[in-house]
Order: sequence, then structure tokens, then C-alpha cells
Amino acid sequence: MLQSEREKMMTLQPHQKAYVQRACFSREGATVYLGHLDLMTCFERAARRAELPILYSQGYNPRPMMVFALPLGVGIESRSDYLDVSLEVPYDPVLFTEEMNRCLPEGLQILRSKQIPEPKDSIMSIVTTATYRFEATGIREAMNDAMKRETLIVTKIAKGKEKQTDIRPLLLSIKKDGGEDPDAVEFFASAGSEKNVRPDLILSSLSLYCGMDKETADSARVIRTGLFSGKYPKILPIDETPIRKFEDFTN
Amino acid sequence: MKSYPAPLSKSDLMSVESPARYVGGEFNAVIKEDMMEELEKTGKTSYVRFAFCFPDIYEIGMSNLALQILYHVLNESAFVACERAFSPWFDMDKILREKDILLYSQETKTPLCDFDILGFTLGYEMCYTNVLQMMDLGKIPLLAKDRDEDDPIICCGGPCAYNVEPMADFFDIAMMGEGEEMILELCEKIHEYKQSKDTDHPMTRAELLRNCDAIEGIYVPSLYEVSYHGGALVRPVDDGVKPVIKKRIISDLDTCTYPTAPVVSNLRVVHDRSYLEVFRGCIRGCRFCQAGFIYRPVREKSVDVLCEQGRLLEKNTGYDEMGLLSLATSDYTHFPELAENLLSTFEGHHTSLSLPSLRLDSFSLDLMEKVQSTRKSGLTFAPEAGTQRLRDVINKNIKEEDIFSALRLAFMGGWSTVKLYFMLGLPTETDEDVLGIADLAKRIEKLYYDVGRETGRKMRKLEITVSTSLFIPKPFTPFQWEPQNTKEELIRKQHLLKDNMRSRNIRYAWHDFDSSVWEVVLARGDRRLGPVLLEGYRAGHFFDAWDDHFHLSDWEEILNRHGMTIDEFAREFSEEETLPWDHVSVGVSKKFLLSERHKAHEEKTTPSCREHCSGCGAASFGVGECFAKREVKADAAE
Repeated sequence: MLQSEREKMMTLQPHQKAYVQRACFSREGATVYLGHLDLMTCFERAARRAELPILYSQGYNPRPMMVFALPLGVGIESRSDYLDVSLEVPYDPVLFTEEMNRCLPEGLQILRSKQIPEPKDSIMSIVTTATYRFEATGIREAMNDAMKRETLIVTKIAKGKEKQTDIRPLLLSIKKDGGEDPDAVEFFASAGSEKNVRPDLILSSLSLYCGMDKETADSARVIRTGLFSGKYPKILPIDETPIRKFEDFTN
Repeated sequence: MKSYPAPLSKSDLMSVESPARYVGGEFNAVIKEDMMEELEKTGKTSYVRFAFCFPDIYEIGMSNLALQILYHVLNESAFVACERAFSPWFDMDKILREKDILLYSQETKTPLCDFDILGFTLGYEMCYTNVLQMMDLGKIPLLAKDRDEDDPIICCGGPCAYNVEPMADFFDIAMMGEGEEMILELCEKIHEYKQSKDTDHPMTRAELLRNCDAIEGIYVPSLYEVSYHGGALVRPVDDGVKPVIKKRIISDLDTCTYPTAPVVSNLRVVHDRSYLEVFRGCIRGCRFCQAGFIYRPVREKSVDVLCEQGRLLEKNTGYDEMGLLSLATSDYTHFPELAENLLSTFEGHHTSLSLPSLRLDSFSLDLMEKVQSTRKSGLTFAPEAGTQRLRDVINKNIKEEDIFSALRLAFMGGWSTVKLYFMLGLPTETDEDVLGIADLAKRIEKLYYDVGRETGRKMRKLEITVSTSLFIPKPFTPFQWEPQNTKEELIRKQHLLKDNMRSRNIRYAWHDFDSSVWEVVLARGDRRLGPVLLEGYRAGHFFDAWDDHFHLSDWEEILNRHGMTIDEFAREFSEEETLPWDHVSVGVSKKFLLSERHKAHEEKTTPSCREHCSGCGAASFGVGECFAKREVKADAAE
């Protein structure tokens, strides 16, 4: 199922009181090679193994009510991704974290969770920005070079068709506190349902225009280090973002 | 838990289809950490290291119940550490060869050549070349005679192991029958062998194989000599070797260990659900069906055990679907009780039951309404033949009245999709039988609209799918002597059917001919095929089970070059000749199979084991349906 369809399905259901856990998770190891659909299935099965009182969507094919902030593509590690899990009853976030971690496959881990009021805005809709860390020989220089350019045209394959697209406007800035390691760089990029740039396209632009060889770029380690809401540069980490309560809008 | 990364660069992994196949890390996978520490410190371990090898891609292998059962049995034991390995797809195969990376296990990424034993499951003949691919990529000499004390022992099991002759050159050991007990007995022998290596009198590989021959159900091909002059003859090299290999079975499935915490793939696989095995064997005795004979006698699990296993499976896997597994689920004595019990266990959990191989009646229709998440999906029937005459020949005990009364109920209940499975090329088949398939489909179509008229309801569009596969004479069935139709004849029959079954409501789906032609060669083959398989593999043929990658003409050419023809294997076998698999006993006597064959040609049916014991020989195992019946009768007589 597409993320957009899923979102529609999750929000259009007849309403039932939900107790939402907003969980921050990391992924590394073998699970890095999973596509987003498989990743979602892993979390669903873990929650079922943990026997958590998950809410299910209505309809012919009920799915656990779990919403991921932003799809995590194949090959991308994460240190801070988010998902909202709707439960039937209030739940202690520490217990939620422990139970999930007991049941998740190696490499996936809930770092922390908090119970939030049921949000009006889907967690997907508030994401605007992500930080990524790339690790590869000489990548800092290549990335500095990329930021100096006016355009970075790359070829993207969407719906089976090749399309030229400029990703330069989606690269926001190199993170200042990221150290000076020449073989690692961390930066802000647009992310979310409105504007989004895939890390593999950034890497391919580095090999196309910024002097990295393709093999090095393709082998770069990619870690998503943070997800944020708000208009860049006035952004907030997802779990520090104020929540508009669903119930305030129902009357 | 410590993780063991794959010995591949990220860019290599990112360049292949579904890289998650090659990295392991699944929930419930077992890594014996004490063994890994021992290996790290001393470079050695006393554990028997077992690689369970599935000769097809990960998604298919992870849907295999035998893998889950034996993985669990082996890892439960204190002296064995079992890991899994699968056939890498062409893209990964290429990378492994180019970069000289050895095929490795999922769990600890250990190269296959570093295991003590490799166990291949042979579920279908077309996977044979993938066995060679996996051994080759694991840097293991392909021919058993070329392997020495430094190489792993290579064994196999599964339905194709009963006639392992075409693969006999490559395997050290074949296991006949159900493996839960036998595989541990085998590992004990390997444990002794391994321990003897550090003593003054290390056991040789030849001695080990002799020791293994002492285990019932185990076949060591190298201890038999063969001749193929006027029939096949496979006999022991000396009196110390057993002349007949008798298959093993598990007497009591209730007390036999079952994997209630199977490995859960992170990647969605072919059958993405948990499995509850309900019983083994089949009471029916359809004469073409190998499974119906090799898994005799019927042994059921009790409802209590099944419900407990079902409850644990759901909890330990998190799957939202559970499949009841057996050869014919409706034949389970306490089926209604089991189904209702499981449904109440799953109440409120959004877990559905998948019920393959159901016989349709009012109960099962009712049940399907209850369990199906997507309502009104297809109804499936397998009449196998188009006329009652031919159904009597094959002993497919399904009557047209039953199909029609079940369909009437189903159509009244709003079902509108019907799938019908048939076989073409069955023994004694005439054009009338082939046309009978079209006739049956058309009469089902008519019934649908009749029901619409009678009830005055507006009916949805009807969809009937007719699928035909091709009859393949298999060893250990009453049809093991029967010829296979030629490809030309099969194509003619297929066209005959297609031309006489035109309707907008009927869709015709057919099976690839080429693979069926080759399958008969492998199924009824003998040791002369070893060099053929080796040459084919060396020429780049593997993944033969994948129609797109199977090239019959190439194989036929290789076969001919080795002085054989397809017809030698597809011909009618004489009842007098010794068959290549006559040294194996599945518990059903050759005499019985022969009498069944004769009854087939007389168009006479044989009742199910539950109605009447026909004396097939499986009662000699002393357990199961036939035996239980006798006990009851004996009690009543007293």
C-alpha cells in the first residue's frame, strides 16, 4: 500500500478514542536492507507479538493503526525516526518501549516513546526536514562543492519514467556542529510529503558533479540522524513539536 | 545479540533485487553464542555445525515447513547448531563468483564449506541443479567421490529423496521419510566422527558413512552398485549394507516436537503466514498422487495439542494469518471442533485462518464466510479429470453431484469465483475425457445463472478459471509404470480443450509443458543422469524450477549426448522390470501398487482408508488410521 493511501485510510475511519504512543526508533544491521513496506510489517508483527492493545483500522482488511513519519528507503540507517502507534488504552511509555524491543528483530530498536494526546495532524504531515549523515572517503569536500552549485540535475525514475529534476533547492545546509572529519558530513535536507529528496539522488549528484567516483558514492554509509517539523531554519525535532489535539477540532 | 554482517559491500547488496534475502537477522533465528565464542578463541567447536540448505530463493525456502521443523529440532539439541542457507538469485550468484565470496549461512555468515554437514531439502525435481549451484558457491567438491575428511557431509531429504538416484553421485547420504528423529541420529554419528578427529584413531569418512548406514531410513548411495541392463538394479556392495531402505515415520505427532516459534522473515515471503500441521498422510489414495502414498499411514494430532500449538504460534510469530496444513484438511476427524476452537482463540486479534485443501460442503462454506478477510474470494475444486470414468480410473473420489450441490450452496451464498483444477495426459485419457472438462465448466456456468433465475437476484459476473497441469508418472504410485503423453499429444489435447471452452466467463490457464517433460526424466531417472545434471549445471543451467530460466532443448541435447533419450524415461515401464527405486520401501508394497494399477485400468475405485483397509502395507508401521481402526474393531469383537 502506498503511504498516501495508508494515510487516507488511517484518517477516514469512523472515530474511536485512541491513546497514541509517539515512538522514536533506530535501525541498523540487517534490517537496513528492508524496504519501507517490509519495515512496517516488522513493526506490526512485533506489536502483535508483544500483545499490545493496538487499534486496528476498520474495513475489509483491518491493519494495525501505525503511522510512520517518513518512509525509510532501502539501505538507509536511522538514529531517529518516528512512528505513532494507536492503542485502545493508556500505556506506560517505558513499558511500551520495553515490550516492543523484546519483540523487534535485531537492528530495530525503540529508543524512547511518549504518550501524546491524539493528534489532529498526522505525523506524516508535520515532517518538513531531515538530517542525514553520509560517510565515505572525501565526502565532506564533495558535499561542500555541491552546496556551492546553483543546480544539481539528476535523473529520477518515477512510475517507470525517467525524469530530470533539480535537487539543489532541497539541500538546506551543512550542519555546523558536525565536526571536520573529511570522510563524513551531516546536513539538513527537505523531507516530507511536500518536498523531499532521496539520499541516493544526493549521492548520485555527488558522483555526477562533485568529483566522487561512483563506487565510493554508491558504497557510502547513509544514516538519517533526525526528523524535524516547521519551516527551515525554524525547525523542531518531531518529539518536541507541540501537538494540536484532535479533540479540540471535533466540536 | 551480536550481529554478523554479510561479507558483501553495501554497493553490492544495493545492486541486487531484494538484498534483505542475503543478510539474515530474522526474529526467532538461532545463534549459539557459546559456539561462536569457542570458535573465536580456539578456532574449533565440539558442536556439529549443520547448514540447512534450501535449493531455491529465500522467499520460497522461508515458506517451507520442513525447514522450520528441522531447524527447530536441530537447534533444540544440545550438540548441534543449525543455520540456514538459500540459493542466491542470478544477480547475487554473479557477484559471489566475480568477487570470489563463498556462499554463506544466514545466521553467522559462515561459508558452507566450514560446516560439518549440509542438509538439502528436495521438494521438487527441478531444484536439483540449484543443489549443485549452492555446493559450488560454497566451494565444496560436487561429486561425493571427490570429497574427503576436510569436506562437509552432504545429505538430503524430502519427497524427492525417495528416488534420489539422479542425484546419487552428489550426495553422501539421503534420508528417507520423516526426519525429526533420524536427523538427530545422523548428527550423533557425525558428532562421534568429529570427536574422533582429535584422538589417535580418527574415523575416516568411509567409516562414518558405514556407521550411518546402520540408521534405519538412511541411504548411502556409494555403498550400492548399479547396473542398467534390462531394468535397473541397485544392490549393496556387500552383506554389511542393508539391501532395502525403509522410510521412517513419526509414530506420535502429539509428542513430537513442533516449531511454535519459527523463524519470522523480515521480508515478505511467498506464504507469509504461520503453519499449523494438522496431520500427516492421506486417507484418499488418488492413484497419481505421490504424497498420498509416501506419507502413509494417516496420523492425526489431537485437538488439544493443535489448539495449544496454534495459540503459541500466533503469539510467537505475530503473523496475522495461520494456515492449517495437511494433504486434505477436511479429512481431519475433528475438523469442526478445531476450526471453531482456533477461531475463538483468535477472537479480537485480527488473525485469519487460511484453509487450503478444503472439501466444499455446507460446513466449510459457512467456515469460509467466517474466516476470510476478503470476502467471497475464490472457491477451489480439484476434480482432476473431466469425466466420472476417468475420475474412477485415478481414484479421485469426488462425485459430480457433490460438486454441484456444493456450488449451488455457494452461488446462493453470493460466491462468484470458481477455480477448477485438472490434469491432462492421465492414463487411459481419451478426447471425450478432455472435452468433459469443458462440459463441466459450461454446466457450472449454467448452474450459476439457474441459481440467479431461481432466486431472482441480480448476479455478479461469474469467473470460472480452469487450470490444467500435466500428468507426471511418479515413483511409489500405482501409476509409476504409466507412460507420459508426448509433448505433441499434450499440446493437441490442450488445443482441443481450449477450442471447446470458449466463454466470456471461463478463463483457461495451463502449465508449461517443457518443465513437465523434464520433470518425468528426473522423477523416474537413475544414476546415469548424474553426468547429465553436472554438465547442464556447468553449462550455466540452474533455477530450472523457474520457467523463464528453463531450457528443455538444451537439456535434451545434453541427455542425447550422453546416449539417452527423453522417451526412455517417459515410456511405459514394464511390470516385470526392476525399477531404479525398488531398493527403497515407503511402506506401501509394490504388489499393492500393481493391483491398484490394474484396478485403474478396470475403472474400479478403492475406498478410503477410513472406510475400509485395502491392505497397502502401511499398517506395518503399527500406528495411524488403519491401525487405530483395527484396534477399535478388535475391542468391539471382544
